[in-house]
Amino acid sequence: MSTLVQCPKCRTTLTESIFNLSDLTPCPTCETPLQIEIFPAFFRKIAPGQKAETVMVEGESSCFYHAQKKAVRPCDGCGRFLCALCDCELNGQHFCPSCLDVGKSKGKIKNLDNHRTRYDGIALALAIFPILFFYITIITAPMALFVAIRYWNSPQSIVRPHRIRTIIAILIALAEIGGWTAFFVGISMRG
Amino acid sequence: MAAQRYKRLTRERGPAEFSILAMTRSSLWLGDDHLLLVECTGYSETYKRFFFRDIQAFSIRQTKTRAAWNWVWGILLALSGLIIWAVSSGGEALGPIIAASIVLVIFGLPLLLNIALGPTCECEIRTAVQTERLPSLCRVRKTQKIMNLVRPLIIEAQGQLSGEEVSARLRETVYSPATATDWSGDIPPLIS
Repeated sequence: MSTLVQCPKCRTTLTESIFNLSDLTPCPTCETPLQIEIFPAFFRKIAPGQKAETVMVEGESSCFYHAQKKAVRPCDGCGRFLCALCDCELNGQHFCPSCLDVGKSKGKIKNLDNHRTRYDGIALALAIFPILFFYITIITAPMALFVAIRYWNSPQSIVRPHRIRTIIAILIALAEIGGWTAFFVGISMRG
Repeated sequence: MAAQRYKRLTRERGPAEFSILAMTRSSLWLGDDHLLLVECTGYSETYKRFFFRDIQAFSIRQTKTRAAWNWVWGILLALSGLIIWAVSSGGEALGPIIAASIVLVIFGLPLLLNIALGPTCECEIRTAVQTERLPSLCRVRKTQKIMNLVRPLIIEAQGQLSGEEVSARLRETVYSPATATDWSGDIPPLIS
């Protein structure tokens, strides 16, 4: 990333007189009102990547993945020794690439959990939207019920960790199924 | 491990000006040590975390979206008013009055709301590896309120820089010979 701060509109490099002011100030070039706040991390230098050192002394612990490279620390996930090349630092913890991969795919490392499927939203959509075309609820109501029950224990939204939508979907689906049952019972009674 | 609790900072909003039509809607949440940008399609959610210790800069740019919408609502309101006036000028009737009231609510309320919410803006957050737009921060007043809430948390994580320190460090960083060398790397060499 550049060490320069540009105007978000005209992309000219801004001078320091415009930063960290309490209100909007016009850009010196395009006069668009701007407010730019800079924090100390802006000036922090990015540490260069480390090279893995070769094992020099016999019996010295070596990296699990690179037997010729010197181990610098164990993985916080699996405990395997890692060289500087394999050591991936994440929020103060150190992982090997495979633990990072597993942690991401299984959601074990919470800061790598960046995607969730909203099964409650799917169940609710299956229960509500087909009401517009009433007849297809005969198929979608059981589907909504299945999705709601099958994925009851799946991870919820990170920001809305509740099951209100799932419960509403189940209630609507049950009402639709009840309606269809009453309809067919009524027909068979008349017949 | 206890689940992280988040406090909602903004409501869900689409990425573009015509946000009502957008499929992906984003919102901003406050965690213990980071801001969480949630992009929601209704059936899935994608999360982007901005840790307080990594945030380099915030930028707010005032836009003309509010003025544009004011024109749209204003013209619609005026046109509807003209039509009702033309219809009702024939004689006294209750119908045009009811129609005028409905039109006033349909076009007048959004206009008033748009004026009351204040100027619109675009907000960007910058870290060492990315610059991300925050679509849910679209009003200057709301954005400044959220910045006032988040600023102390960032300062707590990173420390504070005064205006003079920022100026001095920028001069050091931007105009230092090392940076000048970096700049020249992007420019093709002159062949004489």
